[in-house]
Amino acid sequence: MRIVVAEDLYLLRDGMVRLIEACGHEVVATAATGPETLDVLRTWRPDVSVIDVRMPPTQSDEGLRAALAARREMPGLPVLVLSQHVEQLYARELLADGAGAVGYLLKESVFDADQFIGALERVAGGGTAMDPAVIAKLLSAGSAGRGLDRLTERERSVLALMAEGLSNQAVGRRLFLSESAISKYTTSMFGKLGIGDDDDGNRRVLAVLAYLNATSG
Amino acid sequence: MRQVGSWVGRVGTGFVRACVVAVVGMLIPAVWAAAVALGIRWGPGNPWSWLAPLVLVCVGTPVLARPVCRTVRRVVADWTGTVIPDGYRRAGPVTRMSTGYWWNGFGYERTSRDALLDQKWRVRWGDPANWRDLRFTAVVPFTAGLVACLPPAGVAAAVVGLLQPGLAPRLTGVLGAVLAVGCAPYAWRPLEPVAVRFLRPSPAMALADRVDELTAQRADATVAQAAEIRRIERDLHDGAQARLVGLGLSLATAEKLLASDPEQARTLMREARAGAAASLAELRELVQGISPPVLTERGLVDAVRALALDVPLDVGVDADDGLRLDPPVEAALYFGVCELLTNTVRHAHASRAHVRLHHDGVGIVVEVEDDGRGGAGARDGGGLAGLRRRIAVFDGTVEITSPAGGPTRVRMAVPCESS
Repeated sequence: MRIVVAEDLYLLRDGMVRLIEACGHEVVATAATGPETLDVLRTWRPDVSVIDVRMPPTQSDEGLRAALAARREMPGLPVLVLSQHVEQLYARELLADGAGAVGYLLKESVFDADQFIGALERVAGGGTAMDPAVIAKLLSAGSAGRGLDRLTERERSVLALMAEGLSNQAVGRRLFLSESAISKYTTSMFGKLGIGDDDDGNRRVLAVLAYLNATSG
Repeated sequence: MRQVGSWVGRVGTGFVRACVVAVVGMLIPAVWAAAVALGIRWGPGNPWSWLAPLVLVCVGTPVLARPVCRTVRRVVADWTGTVIPDGYRRAGPVTRMSTGYWWNGFGYERTSRDALLDQKWRVRWGDPANWRDLRFTAVVPFTAGLVACLPPAGVAAAVVGLLQPGLAPRLTGVLGAVLAVGCAPYAWRPLEPVAVRFLRPSPAMALADRVDELTAQRADATVAQAAEIRRIERDLHDGAQARLVGLGLSLATAEKLLASDPEQARTLMREARAGAAASLAELRELVQGISPPVLTERGLVDAVRALALDVPLDVGVDADDGLRLDPPVEAALYFGVCELLTNTVRHAHASRAHVRLHHDGVGIVVEVEDDGRGGAGARDGGGLAGLRRRIAVFDGTVEITSPAGGPTRVRMAVPCESS
């Protein structure tokens, strides 16, 4: 994959580039500020980009704004946003356009190289990679009376893992269940929530996220 | 008919008020007059005849000055609604020092009783406000007191004049009655401007009060800040620092084992990674408590929106767009809202809350409401007091209305510019 890394701290940028290259992907460009990030994304149109939220010049949410602006110009441009903290507010802004191909993870997700690269590949393929903490909050925020309380405990845990962006297969591995059992759960779940169940995993996850996004807060 | 009734009422009230002002304003001149009369009665023959009047004047005037001024303030407040701050010295706390002596704000005394007595004396007689009161009692008889004497004087003239035969005295009596009735509704009114002008705290006193207030605020702020810094230091020392040491140890050991026992080395590496993740999680918590990143990145309004999303309640947020304030004010208000929403979740049994942020031209106003069971002030002592202190540092106010049964409404207002 052709990857762009936007991160202002040299140490982290360098480490990330090395990690990505060690896993056999190509880093085509790096950026260290918000405006620079937007330029690089326009120029390279990478398969996926890794973007830090807080960057110069303002040290506010430059990276997030650059990512959102780039996706407005190039809908569906895959971005994976990394941050020291995860905020539901930012997750919602990233999910708002419903185009998918977004990720929002804590910086320490790079500790597990396989999982990190997995997330990158998922986002590049149009899927999502959401931090479990965000999903847990989306699921819990005043969930009463929004259909979620009709789900069983098991269905809720399947929903949470799916919202993070995992495939049926991966969810099954996490919960020690077979893939067919998972599809049974998802079918009944979607029935309860009134979401159309189709075979395309990404579109399904997006539907779940859109549902959570629209009905909470 | 009704107009006549109301006019009669105004004349009656005005007459009574004028009499009150006349009595209060002329009290000290009456003492002086009594002293002069006493001196005259004892006669010029007695060489000591000046002594008693002098004592009467010298003791009576300062002793009466303060009650007279207090009465004037009270009647002005009752009649016109104008509240004049008195600016008298307040007695501070008497504290026992480690030396065993008692400090009363002025000096050290051996026993608490002595300290209290000494303090009482000094607060009453060492107060610069006494000079202002004396000046007022000197001014009043020649201004408001004089005017207020007109209606009673008119009535007196009427009574005396009409009881005597002859045209001239009767005419005088009629004139007196007309004067009394005519000026009764207005005669007491000069008291208000005179009192406002001469009884308010002098700029020096106001300044002294302000300095006291600021000193207290500064003490609060420094104590709070020191406690905060200690907490941060402890958390870093016991948490992240210790973990990083452990991390270094694991890595050093892994390095040693890499050649001899690669499997063991791999296990240690995994542990090190888990340790790094754990210390990051700890640091995250700590940073949230010091200054939430979303506040730094987005400012108050979005930080409150983010907070509302995290609270397990249905929280609505209304805000003026583009509200940016000084970071310290934003932080104080953010933690204020945080505190209030936490209380709502913890105590109020509420199902929904609402936060409004707007700038009313004077400053930023943040209102937090919930539909819970109320009774907030009684329920929560420490938290709300701390909130008040934190907002007071910026000359802000916190108003809490929380009747039993709810709803609870808290209004924080801080005077400031919105950039």
